[in-house]
Amino acid sequence: MEETYEFTKEDLQEIETIKAKFPTNTAATLPVLWVAQRRFGHVEPAVQRLVAKTLELPESHVHGVATFYTMYYKERKGKYVLDVCTTTSCQLCGGYKMLHYLEDKLGIKAGETTEDGMFSIQSVECLGACGYAPMMQITNDVYVNNLTEEKLDEVIESLKEGEMPEFESVGMPLLEKRNI
Amino acid sequence: MSEIFIDGQRYEFEEGDDRGLLQFILDNGKEVPFFCYHPSMSAPANCRQCYVKVGTPVKNRDTGEYELDENGDRQIRWFPKMQTSCTTQMQDGMVVHTQETSDEVARAQKDTMEFILINHPLDCPICDQAGECPLQIQTYKYGPEGSRFEVKKQHKPKRVELGPRVTLDAERCINCTRCVRFTEEISETNQLTITSRGDKNYPITAPGREFDDPYSLNTVDICPVGALTSTDFRFKARVWEMNQTPSIDITGGKGTNIDLWTRDNLILRITPRYNGEVNDHWMPDAGREAYRRFNEKRFSRPAIKLDGDNQSKTSWNNAIETFAETLESNKPEDVLVIGSPHASVEENFALMKVFNLWGVSNFKFAPHVEEGAGDDLLLTDDQAPNTNGVKLLGYEESANIADDVKKAKVTILLTDELIDRGALSADDLKDTFSILMATNECETTKAADLVIPVTCIAEHAASYVNVDGRIQRSFPAKETKYTNRSLDLEMNQGRLDRFGTNFDNWRTEENKVDCVPAWEIMDKLAERIGLDVSFGPSREIMDEIASSISAFDGVSYERMDNEMGINLNPSTKQEATA
Repeated sequence: MEETYEFTKEDLQEIETIKAKFPTNTAATLPVLWVAQRRFGHVEPAVQRLVAKTLELPESHVHGVATFYTMYYKERKGKYVLDVCTTTSCQLCGGYKMLHYLEDKLGIKAGETTEDGMFSIQSVECLGACGYAPMMQITNDVYVNNLTEEKLDEVIESLKEGEMPEFESVGMPLLEKRNI
Repeated sequence: MSEIFIDGQRYEFEEGDDRGLLQFILDNGKEVPFFCYHPSMSAPANCRQCYVKVGTPVKNRDTGEYELDENGDRQIRWFPKMQTSCTTQMQDGMVVHTQETSDEVARAQKDTMEFILINHPLDCPICDQAGECPLQIQTYKYGPEGSRFEVKKQHKPKRVELGPRVTLDAERCINCTRCVRFTEEISETNQLTITSRGDKNYPITAPGREFDDPYSLNTVDICPVGALTSTDFRFKARVWEMNQTPSIDITGGKGTNIDLWTRDNLILRITPRYNGEVNDHWMPDAGREAYRRFNEKRFSRPAIKLDGDNQSKTSWNNAIETFAETLESNKPEDVLVIGSPHASVEENFALMKVFNLWGVSNFKFAPHVEEGAGDDLLLTDDQAPNTNGVKLLGYEESANIADDVKKAKVTILLTDELIDRGALSADDLKDTFSILMATNECETTKAADLVIPVTCIAEHAASYVNVDGRIQRSFPAKETKYTNRSLDLEMNQGRLDRFGTNFDNWRTEENKVDCVPAWEIMDKLAERIGLDVSFGPSREIMDEIASSISAFDGVSYERMDNEMGINLNPSTKQEATA
């Protein structure tokens, strides 16, 4: 049996305000997919169908959009999705080391989810934070910069407590020098 | 009148012409390679293959005159980059260079092609599209000689069943989105989309949904590579082994223009043929299934009921003799002639003419309409290809054909499967001597007392009047026992027909049906019963119809061929000119 999904009243209200911003419903596809992902944690085919129905759009269109963007999860993920960057800068600064450390620590491989449904690990392409390599992003949200094994231990512990790490502001090196 | 210079040659176009530059170039008999563009759909310009170099003349803002260079020629301001000609709008004085006069353009097209071919499998010898593949043809013409891509190609799913009739080979797809746009703009079912991105994308339906669009097979025709294939036809035959004969779709009232593809006298597939007045480039999937009717369960040799309900095959002489004796032993007023909206104008006319002279006045036909079966594209409620034709010839429409049959002692039926489609029951024919001219074995042939096999649309040249009153004609595509491809000038010859001999192992006699056109049967019958009528080939019959029935005034095979059909309906004629 496939699970059925429904938007709550608040969601529907939010969708109405999103729709009002755009000339067509087609244009509202992306933000409404975000509403859905926030509510259900993923946009599985059943959720894509719900979005299509809500926006009165063809299912195929919503499916095409959802599969185009990697930040929409087309399958169930853990509560926290750890996107470890493994593109050039991070790779050189130990991105794979961090990834493998996480894999060993949580006992899963990249692309998998822990049994308790808490964590998923993904190896991702450049997130545009090469200056603070190696780094990772948590559930399309906070960046954790300048990773070390100790820092990863801390982050995992705080996430288990339900606390997201705080946003770290890292200044431009040049500016810092000038301020001195 | 505005002017445009393409490859140094001057062409004229009307101001406000909304054709894209590519279409204009093609319409003027020149060529620029392209994949994603299709004249009946929007141009997304995503294949980037139709690059041309474009410039506009420089005008002096004060005087409005063209600025001239030192040689006295117009100064041209070239667009900073090459343009995709499919989306370029023509402007007055525009100068265009295609690959024919610009090495830069030729190089750009070659490089685009190299990109397109990076992940495309280069296994044309085992690809179903080979021989009719725009990618293959254009690579030969404009493509690079080899690839510099030495890494492993991206692999994608090979046999995705998108729906009941279409199979996708995702690796071959070049993401032109023609199929997606077809479902969005033409059939409007929105069933297809492109999934993922980068080198992993290919067309697919929404998860859990089928591509069951009633027009789905058109995407196979417009696919410029071998990605979308017909589940039924894939790997059955090579294009160059078949020959292609123009014909008309007989499964609906629209008269969709089609091509029949034959090999060794079997119809292997049916594809739409362009006719802007009728079906554009499209046809419904239902019409493509009709090829089975032309090959399978054909009625071959006449059959007669001798003892009870058991039919046995008989000779042509005996069939004609029985036919004549039946007529002679009954009064003409007891004879009912049932014309057929499924048969051509010529067949119905020949039947009517002979029996009219014999004194019969009871000419009926049963329309074949299924309410709600039509749509606003190409499907019609009318299930027969020639309802208007039978009407114009003077057959009377009968709401209850069973009642008419009960009153008659002799019933003569023309290629209409009345029992199979529920207009009659087998019991209705019990008390009347029924003579049926038929193409296929069916419940109706089982019930008839005398069955005479006649040619189907794939075996004769004959015309049909569609729901809009447009008369169009077919060409013979299959040989019968009595016709010969190399002697009949209306017939096409494929490679195998032309260069093969009767002893080649790909050639059989089995696919030829023992049948003759209905007008030849009428000709023989008329001779036997002493009527002064004779029928030549269908071309002459049409000339006779045109001169004797005012509705068909001016109709001839030559005109139908030149004008792709003639509109007989005066009311729609006026609409067309208004």
